Amino acid sequence: MNIGTQLKPYWEKGRRFVEEKRALDLILSSTILLIVAVFPIFVVSAYWRGVLVVALYYALAAIGWNLLGGYTGQFSIAPAAFCLIGMYTSALLGHYWNWPPYLGILMSVVSTGIIGLLLGRICLRLRGPYLALTTLAFAEIVRSIIRFSYDITRGDLGLSVPRLYGGERSHLYYYYTFLLVIVLVQLLVYLLIKSRVGLYLQSIRDDEVAASGRGVNVVWWKTFGFALSSVICGLAGGLFVHFIGLASPEMGLVMQSGLIIGMAVIGGMGTLAGPLVGGLILEPLSEYVREFGVQHMVIFAFLIIIVIRFWRAGLYGSFKNILERRIYNG
Amino acid sequence: MDILITGIMMGTFYALLALGLSLIFGILKVVNFAHGEFFMIGAYAYALIALKLGISPFLVLFPVIVIGMIVGVAVERVLMRPLYEKYTEWGAMRDEYAIIVTFGLSLFLMNLANQIFGPYPISGPGLVPLRERVTLGHMVMMSAHRIIAFGIGAGVLIAAYLFLRFAPSGKVIQAVSQNRFGASIAGINSSRVSMIVFGISGTLAGLSGALLCPIFSAEPFVGALPAIKSFVIVVLGGMGSVPGSILGAYLLGVLEQFGAVYISYSYRDTFGFVILILVLLLRPQGIFGEKAREV
Repeated sequence: MNIGTQLKPYWEKGRRFVEEKRALDLILSSTILLIVAVFPIFVVSAYWRGVLVVALYYALAAIGWNLLGGYTGQFSIAPAAFCLIGMYTSALLGHYWNWPPYLGILMSVVSTGIIGLLLGRICLRLRGPYLALTTLAFAEIVRSIIRFSYDITRGDLGLSVPRLYGGERSHLYYYYTFLLVIVLVQLLVYLLIKSRVGLYLQSIRDDEVAASGRGVNVVWWKTFGFALSSVICGLAGGLFVHFIGLASPEMGLVMQSGLIIGMAVIGGMGTLAGPLVGGLILEPLSEYVREFGVQHMVIFAFLIIIVIRFWRAGLYGSFKNILERRIYNG
Repeated sequence: MDILITGIMMGTFYALLALGLSLIFGILKVVNFAHGEFFMIGAYAYALIALKLGISPFLVLFPVIVIGMIVGVAVERVLMRPLYEKYTEWGAMRDEYAIIVTFGLSLFLMNLANQIFGPYPISGPGLVPLRERVTLGHMVMMSAHRIIAFGIGAGVLIAAYLFLRFAPSGKVIQAVSQNRFGASIAGINSSRVSMIVFGISGTLAGLSGALLCPIFSAEPFVGALPAIKSFVIVVLGGMGSVPGSILGAYLLGVLEQFGAVYISYSYRDTFGFVILILVLLLRPQGIFGEKAREV
């Protein structure tokens, strides 16, 4: 009797275990999405509804970053730069050639995809601090170019763009548009992570050399992860610019990247719904503390340090872990 | 000629900054993204102590050194410990932890300074009154403060270099940066060495912040650009290489000044980034660095 057949029951058990955990993750994430979908009905003030839309923008960008940083282990400090590229693609097309927002957003996806592919291709030999530094430099170059090309982008003045839904439509329209996009993106991420490709990406995170030794095309999958993550950030930027109606280089500051990364980290890196939870809790929180004259970034950065130092799983991650322990231990 | 001298002067301050960063990279193989905030703390400490207490600016440099050292050591003790406690377990996650934690720290200190001192720049007094100017030869003229600050900076730089090269404890630092495990086997307490290196790094960054304070003024985000420049320098000279980072600093200082004059002033700070990306692409190990090898 060969050893494979002997081990089969154990192998099956392990596989079932993994599948059950995945199903749990999916159920939890869907529940959270459902809560998110119903929530704004109870929020009456237009201001707080606007805040919720902003929260969804950050959440979408954080989902994009999480795909790269959380699952693939490639630490990029450029998510806000890709949001900025997405914003300006749609804004410039709308400003100069009167492209409708829908096509503009589509082009944001294309342009960030191409740039992400190129930058990913460039960065694929680098890892760890080297990659972080390159992306930091890239983010600053993008911002400088946009700031100093006055005659095209009007520099710091910003570019006004038409809103996605003309006239004075309620924030709820934008909220549900963002939510729809987030549901689709989450579905895509879930299917990707579940698939063979997801295993490739996670194996690169855990040990690049070993993954390449087992035949994973590290070069290609790293580039792929980078490009896909950039596309999600670009989509977030393209949508957002038509919500606030103004494209400004301010949105590409390293601080903004810090916000996006912080949301993914505090919500739970490398989990499905972590970035969404992080974004939806932290953005309203930061608006709330602003009323007391406290700078939200102080609290925010402090939370990042505390979470990464003492509490690696983050909010959603530890909730999931507790639930898993409950189910499997008793 | 004027440009060259200004470039060399800026190079000295960059070297002070980059040396600390390079030492930390050598010891822990991580990049400290909060390095610019050490610089900012130095600048604030200098401006506030000099303005509030009104003592001679030369004496203020000593508390600045102490504060820089305390900040460095505190950061290492509180945030960097898990790095070597779990040196082998974490594998690839080490990098991520270090980047996120120092990046978070950088955001935290920046915004804390903004919260406490407000966004307005505080200008510190010069080591000598700023109006006094010195003429070198017949064409170069610059403020006496710059000359004295340059002198102090160059002195500290030479002292730091000699310390690392010849002093027994400097050799211990080199040993740990070459091979952490080997050094531990030889009886070196590498955790303590890391602490000392962070102390030195904080001191150098704080000192360069204090020396540049009358020129740049202390404000919450003053550290961001110098920090990015010292990243460029460290990469340019080879990560973890001490002579590399000093040479890289002078190279960048001079290049930047020439670029600002002959190409465009508004893109001055972008040159550094372009250099960074080019170096990372063409020669990731830098001028003096060794190629990273993995087992």
